[in-house]
Formats: sequence, C-alpha cells, structure tokens
Amino acid sequence: MSLLKPFSKLPGLNSANILLVESKEEFQQSLADALVQETSFTVNVRLAKSLPLPMENEESRPRIDLVVFIIDLTSGLSFQSTEASLKCLDPGYFLGKVCFMVINARNAAAPIERLDAVRKLAASLHCPLLFTEDQTPDGVTNATERLLTILKVAAGFVPMATALYLSNLTRSTVSSDIDQPSFD
Amino acid sequence: MDDTTKRFVQRLMKRIPAPMLRATLDKWDRLTREQKKSMDFTQSKWALTEKMLAFSEENELTAKHLTELEMIYDAHSVELIQFKEQFKSHLRELVRHVSIKIKKHTDEAVWIRIAWGDAFTRPNHLKPTYVVHYLHSPYVFVTSLTLKQKPLLSQALVLATRYQAIKDANLSGRKLTAIRDLLMRKYQQVFPTKYPSPLPENNQNPHIEKEQAEPAANRLQMACEAFGSGMLPQLQSAVYKLETKFRDHSNQTMSEREEPFRCVVKFESTNLLESLRHCASSGIASTPVTPLLSCIPQKGRNYFVITDNGPGPSARMRQPQN
Repeated sequence: MSLLKPFSKLPGLNSANILLVESKEEFQQSLADALVQETSFTVNVRLAKSLPLPMENEESRPRIDLVVFIIDLTSGLSFQSTEASLKCLDPGYFLGKVCFMVINARNAAAPIERLDAVRKLAASLHCPLLFTEDQTPDGVTNATERLLTILKVAAGFVPMATALYLSNLTRSTVSSDIDQPSFD
Repeated sequence: MDDTTKRFVQRLMKRIPAPMLRATLDKWDRLTREQKKSMDFTQSKWALTEKMLAFSEENELTAKHLTELEMIYDAHSVELIQFKEQFKSHLRELVRHVSIKIKKHTDEAVWIRIAWGDAFTRPNHLKPTYVVHYLHSPYVFVTSLTLKQKPLLSQALVLATRYQAIKDANLSGRKLTAIRDLLMRKYQQVFPTKYPSPLPENNQNPHIEKEQAEPAANRLQMACEAFGSGMLPQLQSAVYKLETKFRDHSNQTMSEREEPFRCVVKFESTNLLESLRHCASSGIASTPVTPLLSCIPQKGRNYFVITDNGPGPSARMRQPQN
C-alpha cells in the first residue's frame, strides 16, 4: 500500500502545499478558495475525499507540508472515513504535519460519544484539534488563518520553529476523566 | 380583405370557445409574436374578432390561411368531444347516480371530477375522485379512488379511449406535474457516452487541485445517466416489497426457513430522485447505479414487488383492470 511520505520530495521555492481530506467534499472547497488568497507565499491546495491518493497523480504531486482531516461531527461516515485514511499516512507526518479540523460540533445532532472519540484520536496521535464553523464567511476566514499559521511552520517559513516544536505546543490532550459520564 | 372573408372570420371567431382560442391560434402559428401578445384573451369576443381582422389585413392572410384555422379547431375539438360523450355515457351506464364534470386545460389535459353515488344515495360531493387524462398519451392519473370504484372507472376509461385494457402503473406521488414529467420523460436526460467531454474547469484556481477528480467525474456521469441531470421531478417515496428468502450466513435459524421473508423497504424524501442522484455521485451508493434504484425513473414507477424468481426487480403486476 502506498503511504504518503512527508520528505520524499524536494520543496518548492516560496510555496507551501496543503492537503485537505474531507469525506463530504463541501467545506474543503470554500476553505481552499480562502487559502489561495494568501499573498506572502504561494499556497497550493490539494483536495481529496479520502486516502490513499490515486497513483496516477504520484509524479505530479508536490511535497505535502500539512495534511488536514476535516471531520463533520454530525456524520458517522466522516469519522470512519478519516480513521481509515489515517492508515495511509507515513508515520513521519504525525510529527507536526497533521491537523484535525472539526465542523458542526455545536449541532444538536452530533452525539457526545463521537466528540470524545475524535478528541481521543487527536490526543493519541499528538495532533492539534481545531473546531471551526463552516457556514459563515467569518468562520471560513477564521479557519483559514489558523491553518495558515500551522502551515507556515510546517513548510519551514518561520525561522527557528519546526513543525515538531509547534506540535508540542498545540497538540490536543484529553484529561483522564474523559471516560466519566458527563452531566447533561 | 373582401366581405365574404370578413364574415367567415367573424363566424369562425364566434364558433371557437374562448378557452380554446389561444391554443388554436398557437397551433395555427400565423400571427407574429407582437400580435399574439396584444391579444388579450380576457376581452370580449367582439374585441378579439376586430383584432383578428386587423391582423389578417396586416399579415395579408388569404382565405386559404383562414380556413386552415377552422380546420385546426375542428380536428382538435372532435376528439375531445367524442371522449367526453363516451366517457360520460359509459360511466352513467355503470353507476346510476354519478355526477361528472369534465374540463379541458390548455395543455392537452382533460380534468374529470366524479362524485359517486349508488342506486339509493345521491352523489357524494365531499369525496370526489379526480381523473386527469392527457389526450394524446396513454396515461391517466387518478386520485381518491376506492377499490369498489376502480373497476367501474377503468371500464369507462377503456371504452371511452378505445384502448384494449388498463393496468396499474405502480407510480404515486403528491405532485401531478412531477409524476407526469417522470412518465413522459420530460426532464433532462443524459445518455451514456464512452468519451465524456472535458469538464469546463476554467473557473477553478490553478493552485487548487482535486486529487480524485476522475473518479468523482465518473460517479457524476453514471449518476446522471441513471437519474438525468438538471431539475428532477419531485417524487416523495419509493416502496420495495421484498418476498425473497432470507440470506445471511451468520443467522442459521432464519436462513433455514423455506417460506420467503417478507419485508417492506420504504425510501422517503422531499425530492427522492435528487437524493438518490446525490447518493450515487458522492459515493454513498455504489456506481454503476444498481438497477433497483435506476428503474424508478426508467420504468416510471415507485412501487416494486421483488421475488426470487426473476433477475433484478421482477415486478409483478396487479391484475389488469378490464
């Protein structure tokens, strides 16, 4: 099985590549449109529904600096697809080059168990977990800014900071009482 | 225009009933668009006749052209009248006390309202049956019909339309226009092609690239082949009645039984075909689309009985009404 590897290709000049993986393929499009607006360096966005990525694009694909998994909490399929896709990533990515982005967390249709499962997943992989709102332009802008911050470090544009260093500061953790029943 | 022609036009305009006037003039197609626009069909016949005379002068229409108009009206009205009389008389033969009202709409649809009574009671106007028949099509749409009334209505229809038999189409929905469009394929169709045209992705930013664009395009093509592209007629539900043997290797007790396992699966949605198409294009339903789903638009039905005997959805038809 072909794993996506973080350092098997050379980086491009003044450009960063980000891969957005979303089972539903909705939010990733508006996020991509906002991400390419960045002016200080070139942002190339790759969109995928799930991993593994098709072999045909192997040659033309640039080095991916950051992989973002977008999980819709109201959809069980979204979470399952993400879990399956994680297996196709080289372990090297989990040193600061993977990030989880959750949408629809405030929706009443999102079961609490799924939120806990996502948090445990992110914590066990030492990755940052971001919660965003996808319906309004403000929400998209907000999500874009936060992703760009991480992307700049992951692509090496910030001196004295590496992705691994940043991930130590931003990775999500779960408190030990996460398995206790909540009070609602 | 000479006097005889003028009188001919006046008499003709008197003959053609107001509701049929626009349709007949459209079929005739000898008036320009501006002239047609300026014909206000709510005015009196006399005013319309004056307009007709003026236009005929303008367009220099001869008597020959005007006789065409008369022919169109005659040919059109004859079948409608025949159908009306036949239907009324046949139904009255079968049911003594029945109140029938027939009205024709401009789009070839004949609406019939039937209030049923029997030998002892007067027609019940609180529970009428509506029947819509499209004159040049073999389709009839019915609402609110009880089992007892069904054979009577069917017989009257078969005799009036001079067909051999009538059978259930197994299609139901809440919007008449939707089921009509589905049956007559009046929505945008997509034909299977080996070489799909390249998608116009000009508006896509060159910095954004889809990894799995090709499989996505294939899924979309197959979904559209099964369900059509563009707006789809609104169906509310699809019902599958399964009478097949239980098939699950992990459950011995159920699989061992001889009799078929009866089960009903119902899909409901505000726009069922739209949701099914989306399921196929987004990958939730596997492509190529299974014939169980694609036969809803293909055969124009949404009630299926599936047994083990035939390949795929072997639909058992109900007894033909005759």
